Amino acid sequence: MAFALGALVLSASLAVITYELSRTYLLRQRESSLEQQTFVNARLIRNRLRAGEPDIAALLTSLSPQHRSEHALHLPQGWFGGSPAAGPESAPVALRSKLLAGHVQVQVFRAGDEPRLAVGVPLPEVDAAYIAVFRLLELDRTLRTLRNSLIVAALLTAALGALTGRWASRRLLRPLADVSSAAVSIANGDFDVRLDGGPDSDLASVTRSFNLMAAALQERIRRDARFASAVSHELRSPLTTLVASVEVLTARRHELPPRALSAVDLLAAEVRSFQSLVEDLLEISRLDAGVADVALQEVHLGEFMDHALPLSRIGPIDVEYGPGAADAMLAADKRRLERVVANLIDNAEQHGGGVTRVRLERRPGRARIAVEDNGPGVPADERDQIFERFVRGRTGGQRQAAAGVGLGLSLVAEHVRLHGGAVWVEDADGGGARFVVELPARP
Amino acid sequence: MRTEYGVGARILIVEDDDRIRSSLRLALEEEGNVIDESTSAEEGLPAFERRPSDVVLVDLMLPGADGFELCRWLRRISDVPILILSARSDSHDIVAGLEAGADDYVVKPPVPKELAARIRALLRRAGRSAGTIGTLRFGDLEIDPDAGWVRKAGAAVSLTKTEFRLLCELAANPGRVLSRETLLDRVWGYDYFGDARLVDVHVRRLRRKVEDDPATPDHVVTVRGLGYKLDK
Repeated sequence: MAFALGALVLSASLAVITYELSRTYLLRQRESSLEQQTFVNARLIRNRLRAGEPDIAALLTSLSPQHRSEHALHLPQGWFGGSPAAGPESAPVALRSKLLAGHVQVQVFRAGDEPRLAVGVPLPEVDAAYIAVFRLLELDRTLRTLRNSLIVAALLTAALGALTGRWASRRLLRPLADVSSAAVSIANGDFDVRLDGGPDSDLASVTRSFNLMAAALQERIRRDARFASAVSHELRSPLTTLVASVEVLTARRHELPPRALSAVDLLAAEVRSFQSLVEDLLEISRLDAGVADVALQEVHLGEFMDHALPLSRIGPIDVEYGPGAADAMLAADKRRLERVVANLIDNAEQHGGGVTRVRLERRPGRARIAVEDNGPGVPADERDQIFERFVRGRTGGQRQAAAGVGLGLSLVAEHVRLHGGAVWVEDADGGGARFVVELPARP
Repeated sequence: MRTEYGVGARILIVEDDDRIRSSLRLALEEEGNVIDESTSAEEGLPAFERRPSDVVLVDLMLPGADGFELCRWLRRISDVPILILSARSDSHDIVAGLEAGADDYVVKPPVPKELAARIRALLRRAGRSAGTIGTLRFGDLEIDPDAGWVRKAGAAVSLTKTEFRLLCELAANPGRVLSRETLLDRVWGYDYFGDARLVDVHVRRLRRKVEDDPATPDHVVTVRGLGYKLDK
C-alpha cells in the first residue's frame, strides 16, 4: 500500500511539474515568435505610413497574417481591418485603451471559449496603433494532449507501484512475518512450530537456523520434563513410606514412652515440612519444563474464599469485600488459587508478623485479593526480588522455625501468571506490607 | 467383615515398592481394614480372582504390565472399586487411569487417613439419596437403585459401582441440573477442591454404556457452565 501511495505521489508531482514547465515553455515560445512577427509587421506598416500609403486595407491584407489570426490598425480616423476592433473576437477593452495610450501590449486572453494572444504595438510616430490577435488553438490542443498523457502516465506508475509493493511484500515481508510469528508461538510454549521456507533462497538459511533452534529447544524441554517426572517418582516414593509410617506411630502415641513420643512428634513435624518442600520443588520443576497443566473452572470468588481460608489453619480471618467483589466470577484453577492464598497468608505469618487484613476488590474486568501484614513492609528496591526463587525476606517474623526455602512467593507469581494475572507488593495503610493479586474476572 | 460403611474392608494393594506397600498396609490396618498384597499386575489379577477384595489399590508404575493394564484387566471381570496411586499429578496420567476404569485417584504420598476416607466413600452403597423404592424409568433406561441394576432397552448394562452411583444420583433428581461440585460430594465424598475431571470422565464412561450415541447423549445431558442432568 505504501508503495502504491508513494509511487502515485511521486509520479503525480512529476507530471504536474512537467506539465507546468512544458506549458510555460511552449507558451513563451509561441508568444515570442508571434511578438516578433507582429513587431516586424508593425515596422513595415510604420514605414509605409511614413511613405504615405493610401490604401490601408490593401496594406493590411498584403501583410499575410498568420493562419487564424486577425489584425487591425488604428488611425486617427478609426479602426481599420479585422475584428480586433469590434465583434466577438475583440480584444479586451483594457488592452485597447492601454495600447492607444501608447503602451506595448502582449496578453493572453480567452474569447469565444478559445485562448488567444493579442499583441499590440503603438506607432506614435505615425499616430497609429497596430494590433494582432492570434488564436492559440493548436497550442492549446498540444498542451491538452500533453496533460492527458501525463495523467495516464501518473496512473500507470501508481498502478505499477502498487503491483511492485504487493510483489515485494509477498516475497520479502510475509516470510519475515512468518518467522516472527513462529518465534512468538515458541515463546508461548508451542514447541512443535517449524518453518517450511518457501522457494526464496535468501530466507533458506534463516529457516534452517530457526528450525534447528526450535528442535534444540524442544529437546531441552523434553529432557527437563523427563527429569521432572523421574525426580517426582524418586522423591514421592520414600515420602509415601515416611508419611504412612509416621501416621501409624502418631496413631499409637498412647503406647509410646515419653522420649519416643517426643521423637515421633519431631519426626511428624519434619516429615510434614519436608513433604511441603518437595511439593513446591516438584511444582517449580513442572512449571520450568512447561508441563504444568491448568484446570480452569468458573469460580465464584466469595465461595472460593469461604473454602480456601479455613485451610490456612490460622484461625478465623474476617475477609473484607469491596462492592461487587464477593460475586466476581473468575476462570481459575481452584487448587492453584488455593495455593496462592495459602502462600500469601503463610508469608504474612512467617515474615510479616501475622495477617492483619484480607480484602477483596472489584475492578473493571478484574478482581483483586489483598493480604496485609503486621511487619515492617518491603523496601521499594526489593519489591521485584522477593518474587524470585530462593529469596528469603531479611526481616524475621514471630515464628522462626522452618522459614522455608524461599519458594512460596515465586510459586504465587507463577500460579498467578498461569491465570493471566499479576501480583505485586505495596505499602499497607497501617505500615505493613500489602500483597495484591489481580486476576481477570468476568465482566 | 464387610459393612455398608466400609470400615474393615478387604483391600488389595498392588505396589512393587516394598516399603510403600508395608507402610500403607500398616496404616490401613490401623483403620480396621484387611490387606492383601501383590507386587505386580501379573500377580495381582489372579490374586483378585482367587479372593475378590472390596477395593483394589493400584500403583500406576509397576514392573511388567503397568497400572493402566491392570485396571483394564480387572474391569473385564469385575465392577470392584479401583483406586489408582500415582507419583505424578499430570492430567494425562490421571485421565488415562480413569478412562482405563479406575474410580478415583490419589497422588503420592497419600495421607493414610484420607486414603481410608476415599476408600470408605467408594464403598458407600448407591441409592442412599434416592429415597424411592422400585424402578426408575428414563426413556429406554430402567434403574433400580436398591437392587443395583440398570437395563437399557431391556438388556442389562454392566456399570462399575461408581458409575452406578453417579447414575443414581442423577436419577434421584430427574431433569434437574447437578453441578460437578455436588456430584463430587455426593458420589465421591470430595469437598470444594475436588477434581472435576473425575465427574467428566465418569460421565463419558457412563455415556458409552447407556447412550445410543455417546457423542449426542439423550439421557445424560451436559448443561454448559452448570453441570449434568438426566433427561427422560
